[in-house]
Amino acid sequence: MDWHEDNLQQLAAHPCCGYDCDRSASEPTALTALALIAGGRRDEAREATDWLASLQDENGAIGVRRDEPTPRWPTSLAVLAWLKSAAQPEMNGLYRSSVERGLAWILSQRGKTRSRTKAASHDPTLVAWPWVEGTHSWIEPTALHVLALKMAGYTAHPRVREAVRMLIDRQIPSGGCNYGNTTILGQQLRPHLQPTGVALLALAGESYRHGRIQRSVGYLQDNVSRDTSTVSLCWALLGLSAHGRATPAAEDWLRARYRSGGMKGLSPLKRALIALAVQGAEILLPSPVRA
Amino acid sequence: MNSEQGNPPIADSKPALESSELDRRALIIGSSLAAAGLIGYPLVRQILRERASVFIARNQRYQGSLVQTIRDGLVATGLAPSGLQGKRVLLKPNLVEPTRAAPHMTTHPAVIQAVAEVFRTWGAEVLVGEGPGHLRDTEMALIESGVQEALDSDGLTFADLNYEEVAWVENAGRASKLSGFYFPRSVIEADLVVSLPKMKTHHWVGVTASLKNMYGVIPGIKYGWPKNVLHHAGIPHTVFDINASLPKTISIVDGIECMEGDGPIMGTLKTMGLIVIGTNPTAVDATVCRLMRIKPARVSYLQRAAGRLGPIDNGLIDQHGERWEGLASPFAILDEPHLQGLREGVLVS
Repeated sequence: MDWHEDNLQQLAAHPCCGYDCDRSASEPTALTALALIAGGRRDEAREATDWLASLQDENGAIGVRRDEPTPRWPTSLAVLAWLKSAAQPEMNGLYRSSVERGLAWILSQRGKTRSRTKAASHDPTLVAWPWVEGTHSWIEPTALHVLALKMAGYTAHPRVREAVRMLIDRQIPSGGCNYGNTTILGQQLRPHLQPTGVALLALAGESYRHGRIQRSVGYLQDNVSRDTSTVSLCWALLGLSAHGRATPAAEDWLRARYRSGGMKGLSPLKRALIALAVQGAEILLPSPVRA
Repeated sequence: MNSEQGNPPIADSKPALESSELDRRALIIGSSLAAAGLIGYPLVRQILRERASVFIARNQRYQGSLVQTIRDGLVATGLAPSGLQGKRVLLKPNLVEPTRAAPHMTTHPAVIQAVAEVFRTWGAEVLVGEGPGHLRDTEMALIESGVQEALDSDGLTFADLNYEEVAWVENAGRASKLSGFYFPRSVIEADLVVSLPKMKTHHWVGVTASLKNMYGVIPGIKYGWPKNVLHHAGIPHTVFDINASLPKTISIVDGIECMEGDGPIMGTLKTMGLIVIGTNPTAVDATVCRLMRIKPARVSYLQRAAGRLGPIDNGLIDQHGERWEGLASPFAILDEPHLQGLREGVLVS
């Protein structure tokens, strides 16, 4: 795949990157690091993981950009990148302190809970993770923190088990999920591809007897297509990959999205996600590595 | 929880901003807009007298002569075209959670195109910006809403307000506990922000139009998806505060195909065929409420904004174009306790 190698080459040229052609940000940089590591470009990834380490606050957290220490939701992505970087044999012990402090910060955080109400069908008493400290728990930050904790070997940790229950609870009964609500004032809400894909990554290896996970897998299979926007397409394919569902046309779709950038080019975030989606979910899934 | 789909708003508390401070603020806003040439001095006098003008056009269609309607409405309500040469104008549509299944949820692309054409004709540099509240994938929001096609067709630049670099702005309203807001660069740099909301009911706060639409200038990267920080600080309080901190805002409401019932996301289509325009978003929203047969003073954030950000009293709003009295039609409202009292009479569920 020449286009994939071209993509990796572009990522390697600027591993510390922003959402667009702007100031470097933690999320796109961490995803670029993971894409490069998955593509065997460990040395180039090092620049990104070092940059992330340079952002780490004394409390162990990573903010959204340099000089923007809050909110701290990208901490999970940085931990994922450090763990995968440290998993390379020649880098044994690297980022150990960063990972430990990052995990400690993650485990110190709790989304706000409240009592059940008639207005919402989901269980707001479950403790998971918010986007911003002091607010409620939502799907994507919870899923990303679960991924980081599982990759660090904390699959059986009570916080992870409760967060998994929250992710399942927030799946819409007919399949898929959105930012984190299911039924409000008696009306079932619409699912979306990106949060469903991210949630299913975190739910890989989990089982639930009422079939909610499988219905969400089915939602992705039924709704992802060549016309899906880039970011949603990539997270959806990663979610399917995490559940062993091959998408035969995936490479064609990703190549088409890669080439859709035209002369202006795709944003670094989209390039990183395309590179990850081409290589499958393995890089984001738990491994025996413990920091 | 989420303003669109989560907890009901918390109980109101008395705003911290005293009326004398707000009068001074109105003077500053009016004077600065006039000095910038964006509004005429008659409008400054109106603001100082706490009056505002609202223009309503009926029988509007997305395939119709929207450009003429919008031009007429802006001029009638006091915008000075001569002052827009070279100015940066940010158009802020409502793309909260677009889906092709519910085009009546989001601002129609034809309205965005028409407004852009008007401001471009007047020599302004036009940018379209939005930070969808429920979607991290803004490209998807643009595709599903049809706005991407419109942007491409007209060569319009889009700013993703969820991810842009930000600057801190002091909270000029102080109704909530928030000391300030992170605003995206495109908002900070704009000479004029144009709220382009959809006319909808809202299942927590009753109505969403010009003022509530400005939640979309708040960046998700700092506030989350949904922008839960705002909800915890109080929806009516933060709607007021954001708008109090964004002085350079006018409003053009897409009231052609509207949403009633379980808005702002899951409601049903209600066709009104209206465009509502004004240089004072509070007065525009009060008029939108009347068109929906909802009492503006019973919408908590309008109650808070009344006399501070603009008038909601019908006697203080000069009507241009059509009068609302002949066009009003009751919008269905969910039969929920917190929505009781939005209007007199029986609620429709």
